[in-house]
Amino acid sequence: MQNKLSFHQSSVSLEIIGLPDYSNNENKDQISIISQWKLTIVDKPLIEGKIEHLGPIMDAFYIYSNLLIKNEIPIYESKLIDIKADNLHIHNIVLKSSKANVKPLVLKIGNSLLSDAINCFDQLNESPKVRIKKTDIPTQIPKKLKFGLNNKVKFFNFLIPPFFAICSLILFSSSFIYFYSPFENIEKKELTNPE
Amino acid sequence: MRKSYVKNNIKVNEFEALIKITVEMSKYLYPFIREILKSKEDIKENSIIWNDFNKRFIELIKERFNVDSIRVKKLLNQTENGEIIIKSLLILSFCISNQGCQKLKNFLYDF
Repeated sequence: MQNKLSFHQSSVSLEIIGLPDYSNNENKDQISIISQWKLTIVDKPLIEGKIEHLGPIMDAFYIYSNLLIKNEIPIYESKLIDIKADNLHIHNIVLKSSKANVKPLVLKIGNSLLSDAINCFDQLNESPKVRIKKTDIPTQIPKKLKFGLNNKVKFFNFLIPPFFAICSLILFSSSFIYFYSPFENIEKKELTNPE
Repeated sequence: MRKSYVKNNIKVNEFEALIKITVEMSKYLYPFIREILKSKEDIKENSIIWNDFNKRFIELIKERFNVDSIRVKKLLNQTENGEIIIKSLLILSFCISNQGCQKLKNFLYDF
């Protein structure tokens, strides 16, 4: 008998079917060997597939949502799934079948359904009852680096104004060398006061 | 941007606390956030929700922000503020999980 777990968020639900890994002494409720998954979106066709498809689809949604917020062009393309933005509110999803002669499934979802789907995937990632191989999302890695860079930028921003202030003082005061010549003044004084 | 003449840097503890409050409030208000996002998807059918939200948003901005600032003026302009409001709502709606605090921080560093 297979275990079944469901994650719901408003109009989207994700169902995971699979078995526990008894060789690791796991509980009966646990799912480590996923045999099937189903993503149900209200008023849209059912999306289901093999375990090897779930990871890339989740990654696609996460990467796309990051792109959408970061002001970059929100386009994600892969062998399995393409996501493009029609505008800021509507997103085009093209799911390509691995089987030959099967037409790709095209879905249009809005921001509300996109956030529901992301929250379903979050619930799956955080569930202690399901163990899935978490693939590293490339956009999450440079964030720490970016934060580090931000700190460096802030540090430079802190130093640059006084640096420029000192430089401008030096430049400004050096120009007075041409206007003021102390030796000429001394000579003039000597001429006016010959004593 | 605020109507305050005192510029204090936020402390790390205060930042963490604000993040926690924001995430908990977004969890609680998720159904409303979702409805506002949905109303903008089909503006002809659900324009009342979006218009009410935008009107209240502008009222609060006028009440608490420095209206003379150019950035605040952009927020008040109904033709220009749509994108920033939608993106802010999306960020809040993506951060309602248990790890929402970390997600919100990552989004803020990149925003």
